Amino acid sequence: MDKRVVITGVGVVSSIGIGKDNFWSALIAGKSGISRITSFDTSAYPTHYGGEIKDFKPEDFLDKKKANQLGRASLLAIAAAKLGLSDAGIKLAELNPDKTGVVIGTTMGESQVLEKLNDAWVKNGVEAIDPQLIPRYPANVLSLNVAEELRLAGPNLVIPNACAAGNYAIGYACDLIQMDKAEVMLAGGTDAFSRIAFLGFNRLLAVAPEMCRPFDKNRKGMLVGEGAGIVVLEPLEAALKRQASIYAEVAGYGLSCDAHHMTAPFADGIKEAIEKALYASKIGAQSVDYFNAHGTGTPANDREECLAIKKVFGDYYKKLPVSSIKSMLGHTMGAASAIEAVACALSVKNDIIPPTINYLTPDPECDIDCVPNAARRVKVDVALNSASAFGGNNACLVLKKFPLN
Amino acid sequence: MSKKRVVITGLGIISSLGVGKAAFTENIFQGVSGIKPIATFDTALFSAKSAGEARDFSPEAILGPKGLRTLDRSIKLVASATKLALEDSCLEITESNSRDVGVAIGTTLGSVASISDFDREALKEGPRYVNPALFPNTVINSPASQVSIKFNIKGFNVTISTGFSASLDALNYGVDALRFGRAKIVLGGGVEEFCIQTFLGFYKSGCLSGPGAVILGEGSGIIVLEELDSALARKAKIYAEVLGFGSALQDFKKSMRLSLEEAGLAAEKIDYINSAANSSAEFSAREAKAIEELFGKKAGALPVSSIKPLAGESFSASGSLQVAAAISAIERQKVPPSMLNQAQSPMVEHVLINTGGKSGVNSSLIISKFKGY
Repeated sequence: MDKRVVITGVGVVSSIGIGKDNFWSALIAGKSGISRITSFDTSAYPTHYGGEIKDFKPEDFLDKKKANQLGRASLLAIAAAKLGLSDAGIKLAELNPDKTGVVIGTTMGESQVLEKLNDAWVKNGVEAIDPQLIPRYPANVLSLNVAEELRLAGPNLVIPNACAAGNYAIGYACDLIQMDKAEVMLAGGTDAFSRIAFLGFNRLLAVAPEMCRPFDKNRKGMLVGEGAGIVVLEPLEAALKRQASIYAEVAGYGLSCDAHHMTAPFADGIKEAIEKALYASKIGAQSVDYFNAHGTGTPANDREECLAIKKVFGDYYKKLPVSSIKSMLGHTMGAASAIEAVACALSVKNDIIPPTINYLTPDPECDIDCVPNAARRVKVDVALNSASAFGGNNACLVLKKFPLN
Repeated sequence: MSKKRVVITGLGIISSLGVGKAAFTENIFQGVSGIKPIATFDTALFSAKSAGEARDFSPEAILGPKGLRTLDRSIKLVASATKLALEDSCLEITESNSRDVGVAIGTTLGSVASISDFDREALKEGPRYVNPALFPNTVINSPASQVSIKFNIKGFNVTISTGFSASLDALNYGVDALRFGRAKIVLGGGVEEFCIQTFLGFYKSGCLSGPGAVILGEGSGIIVLEELDSALARKAKIYAEVLGFGSALQDFKKSMRLSLEEAGLAAEKIDYINSAANSSAEFSAREAKAIEELFGKKAGALPVSSIKPLAGESFSASGSLQVAAAISAIERQKVPPSMLNQAQSPMVEHVLINTGGKSGVNSSLIISKFKGY
């Protein structure tokens, strides 16, 4: 159980770019993926912006006929998984299918499928429900569809731990490798743009009108987004043996539960997940070079998260770069922490920290260094990926440069 | 590194077979069915009219009358099962042990009624008429999270969505977490509610009518998983030890084989198989064939039974109800009666539980009579 696990491939489908290179160059350029929502009519809602992926063509990644039979969250995940594997330089034929598994995190599952079913039901009654759509809905199809497309027969799970789900999935995938249940794991998260999530966050008055400004004094909320992020995980030894390019080592992770409130973020719980992650990684707080924040841009989240950061890092918090890429992507729900893990892996690999964009006015409650508006070139040996979810669920992942010199 | 031993020290269960372990056990051994005409909604439009609804279940009686107003049925089921499990295990969660306890719940639909109703309300009445207090119920991990909130459990909280095998996969997640030292106790299991959305899903897919029609159930089983040292230290009653787990994609033979390997047991050591069989003929035949292939000559004499003819097919909650049945078999040293075959075992030491459906993940779990060090 003390096997070291490394990330050797990353796949990402996002509103700022599809594929690692497009994603990373947009991310460090501070490009926004926010636009007017077109997947459904928002005229009855108070807000109209979100992070939809406008240029995603499923047929670029899988057979068009097959693609027509799957929900969008599955399609995003399949695309990210394929991008990840090819980035890792692994050909399907080289994989041992029995020892290659898939763990996917999500918040809403195949929300768009259910929304379609509901549209028909409300408009024309039970008779109008299309039976063909039904098997596309249950959340477990996400990892099954990835496995089926890639013909993988190893461990297969969906962990729907809401907006921290990606980190839970990556953490458990590492456990599975450490227990020898798998040799290669594809782990991450996916969510398609969800009308239900958009509705819910609007009803909570948590949605920003046009721009997500994490840590800014005048921040007005989050923006719903969509996407998928997948990391390819394998034991260090195997990666070295096949001379794979290594992005980072997953040094450890920590989970905590606030046991406090379904939607209100809570500094003590966030702090606990961070501390557990550092402890599991045998890394001191002052060795952290980059803190990728949950940073949703809601007044409460950013305040509580900054409070947690201060509690964990003490005076060092002023020197610690903390950024939120949700300023660019919006909140991609179950994909968020997975895409953020990809960002951390790339940050560790390239020694560049992505910025928090849209930042204008400092907030004394969030007086962290949020890497405002411009990426920063700095040595990143250790990156920490913090995520919080509905239900008071926090998950923190620690990535470390390999080799560390 | 030697593997930490994990034992079962408590059980809370709610299903159509009653509330609590005693009612459940009595009904499965007496062969009393929980399948009745559907009461949750009007079935006039449908040819399927029966289900295993948890009719005796009164959330107020278990959780008290307060704070239930915005909670959906899934939450009430799993929170109530948790309360029963904590009581059964004589386990009190306090500020001092709260961080040593985790929650791992299998559910695939969450509360699909909550999710669908929330969206349909907006479609019918307009977004501004939707009650924001119901939004938290629309995340799939809401039932598990409410367990942590209600009982102040801070170690970790995870939901596993793997379809028919989700309860066993969640229990295995819990076992893994104990072995990694992430907790000393994990409340594991599953929950699915019976609602019109779930009914429509299975009905429209053609599963609920014709030959091999499946009858749906609902419920929640919470199993207290505990590392042996912790159980011994607090002198907990030990129902069984968890010996092995295996999981595979649409392959019962492989999931059973892996569970035997992890348990370090030869196939002939298994005294009883609690089967995944519902009424779907194609799917039951697949499990039967796998048992025959793996257990060879012994297969004919091996007691195999399913509780689903009595409790209904409870989807992601099924595995947790099956573990409860396995615990009862070990406790009574007797195999629950069966429609599958009439074999009995002179003793019940090792029980293998199978889960899975027509497609997707098959998981198998072996739990065994606890024999001390």
